[in-house]
Amino acid sequence: MKKRFTNIALSASIAATYMKAKLRQTLVATAGVAFGITVFIFMVSFIQGTNEYTQDVVFQQSPHLRLFNEVQIADQSLLDKCFPGVVNVVHHQKPKDILLNLKDANQVLEDLAGDPRVQAASGAITTQVFFRLGSSSFNGKLNGVNLEKEDQLFNLSGKIIEGSYEEVTVRTNSILMGVGLAKLLNVRTGDQVVVTTEKGGNFAVIVAGIFKTGLTDIDKQQCYASTKTVQKLLGAPASYLTEIKVKLLDKELAHEMSHELQARYHYQGSDWKKDNASLLEGDVLRKMIVYGVAGTILLVAGFGIFNILTMMIYEKMKEIAILKATGFSDSDVKGIFLTQALVIGAAGAVMGLAFGFLISYAVSKVPFNSDVMITLDHLPVSFKPVYYITGFTFGILTTALSGYLPSRKAAKMDPIAILRG
Amino acid sequence: MNVLEVANLNKYFNEPVRNQVLRNVGFQVERGEFVAITGKSGCGKSTLLYLLSTMDTDFEGSITIDGEQMKGKTNRWLAAFRNRNIGFVFQFHYLLPEFTTLENVMLPARKLGEYPAGRTEQRAMQLLKLLDVDAHALKRAALLSGGQQQRVAIARALINDPLIIMGDEPTGNLDSANSATVFGLFKELATERKQTVLVVTHDEDFARRADRRIHMADGSIVDA
Repeated sequence: MKKRFTNIALSASIAATYMKAKLRQTLVATAGVAFGITVFIFMVSFIQGTNEYTQDVVFQQSPHLRLFNEVQIADQSLLDKCFPGVVNVVHHQKPKDILLNLKDANQVLEDLAGDPRVQAASGAITTQVFFRLGSSSFNGKLNGVNLEKEDQLFNLSGKIIEGSYEEVTVRTNSILMGVGLAKLLNVRTGDQVVVTTEKGGNFAVIVAGIFKTGLTDIDKQQCYASTKTVQKLLGAPASYLTEIKVKLLDKELAHEMSHELQARYHYQGSDWKKDNASLLEGDVLRKMIVYGVAGTILLVAGFGIFNILTMMIYEKMKEIAILKATGFSDSDVKGIFLTQALVIGAAGAVMGLAFGFLISYAVSKVPFNSDVMITLDHLPVSFKPVYYITGFTFGILTTALSGYLPSRKAAKMDPIAILRG
Repeated sequence: MNVLEVANLNKYFNEPVRNQVLRNVGFQVERGEFVAITGKSGCGKSTLLYLLSTMDTDFEGSITIDGEQMKGKTNRWLAAFRNRNIGFVFQFHYLLPEFTTLENVMLPARKLGEYPAGRTEQRAMQLLKLLDVDAHALKRAALLSGGQQQRVAIARALINDPLIIMGDEPTGNLDSANSATVFGLFKELATERKQTVLVVTHDEDFARRADRRIHMADGSIVDA
């Protein structure tokens, strides 16, 4: 054991002497590795930061899974029922007029509240409405929600920028309005607006507060009110709910659970991955680009190391032969050159991590104002340790690989052919 | 006691065509003997020496050093054996130019790892003094003259007190004064320290003054 340690120490000290003699080339190679890792860390932090930011904004507003009813064409027409076993063709089949409410929604909500996987579940009514302003009318979406539960799910009260969240819970016929919509309608807290439902009824409601989520689509269209208020507006009974939104403790279970609940309650359903498929796909693609670019840079750095060691080995053929003659084994010789590659790799990787962190940190302090992402004031950067671990491993692996080939060549060199000239 | 036993040694070169360079070579060397191997260029004497050095493992027959059969051993085992038992001196000095003279001498001892660093350094200095190059101990090896480098290389060969000291034309590049010094040293090592010396040489004078002379021609020993 001690013998092995002194062997490694000896190989390392010879490697150190060689590297000192070739200081400039060594530094250039180290800088190459450092550059690759720096770019990797910076790009991955920035892109992941952006991904996480957009995901946060979107997912804060979207439940992990939703249950709802959808207007659907029947799979089996009436003709099929009357004449089974015959080919029946019905052109331009129309859907049946059904109520979009969920049957037994309150019972389902109680069931879900008792499920250990569920963090919170809330029933809601969503309906299309028009807001009148003089002679013009604006499209809007009114969400009748259980305000207490909705706050648990989406932290709605934290997004109120004017008025109060409490007021809407106690006052009937009051609503919370998106900041964009309020601007469009030129209303403020306490103002009255007229809402027209799809069926044509007109109602006056009071704006109790204004919220801002940062998502333009939501802020420009949506309003929240208590379920009771919306039920009244629609002339629907108290059991009328069109959607159940669920937040889970582990959001990865959403897909599986959505299927389970759909089968159990005969509702339609969707989960966050399905709702945001293009967003998630974009994240994966961006990540691939990062790894591609960093991989290319490291490959170039790896070639640098490969070159230096190969040159060094040709220059030092006689010395390698003499080391072998005086009792260094093939693997000792391999160790001398591999140590150099690994020192370059480790030093480059550590420097790369440090520079990558500094650049990422500097970028995270750059002010950034966007009309689309309203809650953003600085560039989003992620500082997860896993990127640093990946970067370091990546750097060491590339350099080890590019150092291994020349080192093996040195180990295999026949000392006699060299000593005899 | 025989330090070295060679029996039925055959060696072939396969490039460019198969060609037998050693034919049924066999001899024994006792401890403390000073042997010179002579012969014309291409007679196989260097090939024989490199086989004995354990660096060339491609042969038929048997080589036994200090009772150990050299055939079929691993590279690691042979390297350790060389490190412990064989000191090599080449025609061209072959020092590591980036290292100091002292470091060059110490390298095989550090590899052996038998003595602490201080003790090794002390021994290396003694050897350098013995060979009269101690003044250059801390200089880089590349800065020494040819004769000085060869003496440093001899010091390096002696650092682990090897059983056998092998030389491939060790005086080939030295002037007569330096040659005489080296010869005197080898002689002393053989007689006083009972170390075996095995030297391939073209130098008639050197060979004549050795204890024993093995003369080769066309891959065979003609006179032992």
